[in-house]
Amino acid sequence: MEAVVVMKLPSFKSLAPNAISIASGHRSFSRVRRSSSLSVASSSATIATDSEPVSLGHSTRKDFRILHQEVNGSKLVYLDNAATSQKPAAVLDALQNYYEFYNSNVHRGIHYLSAKATDEFELARKKVARFINASDSREIVFTRNATEAINLVAYSWGLSNLKPGDEVILTVAEHHSCIVPWQIVSQKTGAVLKFVTLNDDEVPDIDMLREMISSKTKLVAVHHVSNVLASSLPIEEIVVWAHDVGAKVLVDACQSVPHMVVDVQKLNADFLVASSHKMCGPTGIGFLYGKSDLLLAMPPFLGGGEMISDVFLDHSTYAEPPSRFEAGTPAIGETIALGAAVDYLSGIGMTKIHEYEVELSKYLYEKLSSLPNVRIYGPRPSENVHRAALCSFNVEGLHPTDLATFLDQQHGVAIRSGHHCAQPLHRYLGVNASARASLYFYNTKEDVDSFIVALADTVSFFDSFK
Amino acid sequence: MNTGSSLKALASPPLISTSLRPKRKSFPNPKFSPKTIRCMLDSNINLNFGSNPNPPTHDFPVSYATVSLEAPLKTTTTSDKLHLLVSEFRSLTEPIDRVKRLLNYASTLTPLDDSARVPANRVTGCTTQVWLEIKMDEFGKIRFKADSDSEISKGFCSCLIWILDGAKPEEVMGVRSEDLSVMNVGVHGKAQSRVNTWHNVLLSMQKRTMALFVDADVAHRERDRPSHDLLFGYVNGSYMESSSSSKLPDYSISLLPLYYDFTI
Repeated sequence: MEAVVVMKLPSFKSLAPNAISIASGHRSFSRVRRSSSLSVASSSATIATDSEPVSLGHSTRKDFRILHQEVNGSKLVYLDNAATSQKPAAVLDALQNYYEFYNSNVHRGIHYLSAKATDEFELARKKVARFINASDSREIVFTRNATEAINLVAYSWGLSNLKPGDEVILTVAEHHSCIVPWQIVSQKTGAVLKFVTLNDDEVPDIDMLREMISSKTKLVAVHHVSNVLASSLPIEEIVVWAHDVGAKVLVDACQSVPHMVVDVQKLNADFLVASSHKMCGPTGIGFLYGKSDLLLAMPPFLGGGEMISDVFLDHSTYAEPPSRFEAGTPAIGETIALGAAVDYLSGIGMTKIHEYEVELSKYLYEKLSSLPNVRIYGPRPSENVHRAALCSFNVEGLHPTDLATFLDQQHGVAIRSGHHCAQPLHRYLGVNASARASLYFYNTKEDVDSFIVALADTVSFFDSFK
Repeated sequence: MNTGSSLKALASPPLISTSLRPKRKSFPNPKFSPKTIRCMLDSNINLNFGSNPNPPTHDFPVSYATVSLEAPLKTTTTSDKLHLLVSEFRSLTEPIDRVKRLLNYASTLTPLDDSARVPANRVTGCTTQVWLEIKMDEFGKIRFKADSDSEISKGFCSCLIWILDGAKPEEVMGVRSEDLSVMNVGVHGKAQSRVNTWHNVLLSMQKRTMALFVDADVAHRERDRPSHDLLFGYVNGSYMESSSSSKLPDYSISLLPLYYDFTI
């Protein structure tokens, strides 16, 4: 858009951030605060001091200046959080602070800046370890994203442990990133992929999964929370069943770590992956949690600097984990900013975030299901069934991409359309695509209301063309 | 359809006066004749179909006006059509008007037979399902048919087919993705977005045109006829036609635009 758009102030006056304006191609944000010292900005959510109770969404929105803007002439309603989350000012400050004051390579130089960068980088590893309750920060391997983390396990652990006839159990609801690496590895090793389908409640059939586990099973690789169905799997039980036959468990926790308390020791999973950008951190960084003994026994995934101990012309010896799996210069600033994101989320409290999202989730489901001709995928919420704060859905006779386009263009509502990197699941559900509205703790019931009004208008618009 | 008769009559790119929609069975001549073009910017386009309590307040750029564009003597070239369509979409400053226009054009698109809705005809890279059928007629012109499960994508296809159906292969290859960026809905200026249907359908049209052309040329050679005298040359970002028959054409994939590999 060519025109300069002046941002509307948010309706919550006491929480309004500085007004900002956006020009095409150039965003001129005046920073709320900028650290002028060398210290890394400490990050925590600022809780509103108003006497009247405000929701978590209302109280945290001021930390996300991106949310306070107009798009296509309407107030932005950002409901594409399962694809990526927004970043609070504390995270942006941490990134800026690194590049502005102590940008330097890690683990290399002996000069001040390098030492500072290394300290902050390794501190981020400790923060992530604490966040998921890993017993040792050396169990955290930084990767580009969760996809790379899964590929790391597939190529390193998978290629050296899977044999012809071995079985890897997945569900049809996995993200492509937790299907394709195993397809590649199975083609190389002769291992067999087995897929758990959905039950009548439209969740992966746990009974089928349990029956599928046998002495041939070497790995169970499953999601924690589905990015389409909003359902969650009982990882603790699955781990017990898998370990009983000596199989390992990898958990794709991309949709759980940002939204709830995830305790890897309690889950007792062998591997767990998550992505920074879905949990208020920057893109370009994710992590793999792996049990120490497993990581120690795994060969390198990529070769290069940092991952070696000694290099000779004909061979090399490899560093201990996690360095063994972190070849080359990492995304230093992004890792440090991920640490800031973890601080920010911890400052709010993951329990509080989860409880708020459970409430929002119910509200979204209730409102969306009240519209005619709307089919929401995944389980119906009940006392025992808590859905994640997202709804994948279709409106009869309306393509989700048309719907998403109109919502964006006419109402400033950002949702996702397509197969959400879960084509096998969509095929199983008998559709090619779906629309998805996904929430995070900075969303409010007003966002949901705006979405529902906009959706009703969208349906009415397209109906008028039939 | 709640579009009123004036829009009905204009429901073909780019709003060229035509009262009847020809019913086509298979790859007929282009449906739009090179006559005077009436580019109507109708105020009806501002109809509030939905129940949005706050409809856009912007008036249409040429509100309540009918603009007649005297077309050049020959408007059947691909570049003429592209120019007209770009002009039309550029005049639609409100996104909703683009959507409405596309939906109108979608309604003019002849549906593909089920037999053509096969995986081999799928355009990859789109978030919607798009099927593209392509043939070369006896005059060496490329004939396109397309369909989609999305109405907006169908509108894109309708426009692309209006531009390129019946074009010579080199004309098809000469259209650049950037040329279409002004016509985007929802992805303004992001001509290479992987969800950009314009981009993906165009590239699929070009890729398959190239394949047809190579096949046709091979058939020529096998019949021991003189080599096709058309050569493609990629010069400064444009395909140039050469009548030289002394050089053998290089039909390698490298002839495709440099941006080709990014999305397909």
